Amino acid sequence: MEPLVFKESAALSFGIELELQILNPRDYDLTRGAADLLRLVEKKPHPGDIKPEITESMIEVSTSVLTRHAEALKELRGIRDAVIAAAQRLNLRIAGGGAHPFQKWSEQRIFPKPRFNHLSELYGYLAKQFTVFGQHVHIGVRSGDEAVYLTHMMSRYIPHFIALSASSPFYQGVDTAFDSSRLNTVNAFPLSGTMPFVESWEAFNEYFERMRGFGIVESMKDFYWDIRPKPEYGTIEIRVCDTPLTVEKAADLAAYAQSLAAWLLKDRPRQPSRDVYRVYSYNRFLACRFGLDATLVDAYTQSQVSLRDDILDTLQTIMPHAIALECQSALHSIRESAAGGGNDSAWLRDALQRSGTLNDVARLQAALWMGTGE
Amino acid sequence: MTDLQFLPSLTPPQGSFVLFGLLLLSGLAGGHLFARVMRLPRITGYIVVGIVLGPSGLEWLSRPALEEMRIFVDIALGLVLFDLGRRIDIGWLRKDRWLLATGVTESTATFFAIFLLLGYLGVEPAHAAMAAAIGVKASPAVLMLVARDLKAQGQVTERALILVAINSALAFFLFTMFWSYLHLEYRAGWLTVAAHPVYVLAGSLTAGWIMAQTAIHGGEWLGKRPDSQFILIVALIVIAVGLTIHFKLSALVTLLAFGILAKNLDRKHALLAVEFGQGAELFFVILFVFAGATLQLELFPEAAWIAVGFVAVRFAAKLLVLLMLAPLNGLRFAQAGLLGLALVPMSGTAVVMVQSTAAVYPEFGARLAAIVLSAVAILEIIGPVATHLALRLAGEASPDTR
Repeated sequence: MEPLVFKESAALSFGIELELQILNPRDYDLTRGAADLLRLVEKKPHPGDIKPEITESMIEVSTSVLTRHAEALKELRGIRDAVIAAAQRLNLRIAGGGAHPFQKWSEQRIFPKPRFNHLSELYGYLAKQFTVFGQHVHIGVRSGDEAVYLTHMMSRYIPHFIALSASSPFYQGVDTAFDSSRLNTVNAFPLSGTMPFVESWEAFNEYFERMRGFGIVESMKDFYWDIRPKPEYGTIEIRVCDTPLTVEKAADLAAYAQSLAAWLLKDRPRQPSRDVYRVYSYNRFLACRFGLDATLVDAYTQSQVSLRDDILDTLQTIMPHAIALECQSALHSIRESAAGGGNDSAWLRDALQRSGTLNDVARLQAALWMGTGE
Repeated sequence: MTDLQFLPSLTPPQGSFVLFGLLLLSGLAGGHLFARVMRLPRITGYIVVGIVLGPSGLEWLSRPALEEMRIFVDIALGLVLFDLGRRIDIGWLRKDRWLLATGVTESTATFFAIFLLLGYLGVEPAHAAMAAAIGVKASPAVLMLVARDLKAQGQVTERALILVAINSALAFFLFTMFWSYLHLEYRAGWLTVAAHPVYVLAGSLTAGWIMAQTAIHGGEWLGKRPDSQFILIVALIVIAVGLTIHFKLSALVTLLAFGILAKNLDRKHALLAVEFGQGAELFFVILFVFAGATLQLELFPEAAWIAVGFVAVRFAAKLLVLLMLAPLNGLRFAQAGLLGLALVPMSGTAVVMVQSTAAVYPEFGARLAAIVLSAVAILEIIGPVATHLALRLAGEASPDTR
């Protein structure tokens, strides 16, 4: 079998994928609409790529390869508008958010495509439970070794991305007390978790060959890791973010990842540490559960840090790189939410307070995404 | 014998209670047989039970007994029409103008197709127009309930429901107009001709508006409690049905307007999308058993072929328009075809329309009544099956209803 070849790509280029919810305008439950929506969208030229996802009430949109925050914003808005135009003709609503507040997973319908049918057969109810909506950020790197290094270094910052993007406080009709309940559904998959602690692309390839030899995986797609190298794109893919409630937030998060990667790759401030993975699961849980209010364990200093302070410190450190990448405005928005503005989960809980029902929360969520006002 | 007066008489038990219960049981059995054993819609089972028990069948259900069931039937229709109205999104009609245009074109084409066919067969124009108006209407009850049973979601389902609302409203409008025209032909005063449709339409819309406002303000006052709002809505539906009977208004327009306005005027989103659930199911069983029982199959032999022609022309007209307008509606041709199939069911209320016309104007002709009633008979039996098939083939039925 062929070893994985890592395709070189422009360093610090990036791309964004967003999984979106399709809702009906009556009770704002998830509804079957992906096929009709995609057919209509494809009739007109639009930026980016729009694809089906595992259930018929989800679609996935993705940008082209980008280098600047402003481009990302422009392209995401273009994609959003194309999807909204099609949705309006079909009387469907589109919403962001990491989970639908009250859908019943058992009622979801698998999108008729061989890969999805296979996943549904293999994973049983887990496949339908996976009706959750995430943002993936790809960061371009120049080599496989760089990808391995960056993956290990980014792992330390995974709680930042979880807490900043969290937008799934409600799941199956209840407040889960988590800011991101979505990541809990990922944990159930056997190949979830983190990349093993390998030190080079060669070592990674050895690991991959073994796993392929065992017959456990066929391609990188079979690993559901929080961060995974993506050799065919020449990127590392950060997969822990909930889909935010707006495209602007999605672009901000991508800019944060890009600036962070710039700092890690250019300044090489630290070396990968096994300790990061020793505290990883617990930190990840804390970020999911408490969001920005979490207190984490810093593997490098072996001390407790407030997640908010850690984000604010990191923003300060990476700001010179952000300025070079022309995305300081995005980092200012991130600072605002870390300093007190709160994340999307806070917005959603407030929406429930204001409106009284989870149907209304879903309605407000869609209005925010579609820019149609209340 | 005098000692045993506390014992009931030996004649079969009569009265609403036993009748209601027996109809439920027999409908249940018929529905179960059709759905579980024959894989057909339950509704068809209810209708067949009605036919078997009714005056055209074993005559266990006499006409007076059917009249006693009327109140349940009216409530059932009220629930269905309100629910349909609530699904009509005025914003959608505004954003996608072709949707409304399609509804109007489809209705108009159906009208003229039937009108021309009947004219060709020598039916007098005024009477042909009346029959054609009746034929425009598809059945909201069948569409709503088949869609609900299949948990159908998608464009064919959504558009079929909007189109049935549009063609029901237009059919009503045309029917009332021609009814007045008949008044004129039989020398009723001009005032009757002009005032009757206006009265019915304005009265029904007003009643619907009052109910919707009451619902919205009631909802605001009660807060977002599903159980309270459920009672509020059902109470208002029952009152609305009562008002239409008392003031001789159109139940269709009143309840549809109530639903549409309750959904579209509720700017603060005070009303919840309450489900009627299993309680409503009781009424729907009675509705369709009743619909089956009122079919007059004895008329069938004399009008069979013309009725088949009526059915075929009606289907062809709807299908053709939908296929032609498919690209403008953003539909695939297959979807448009299935949409046409979904609209096959004809409303049981057509029977009432024909009977009431024939009663007032005997000249309307037994023959025309026979044609329309035979067409209704065909469509009541194949209609639910057609809709069921259409939504399944469109891939819109939930896999777990298979």
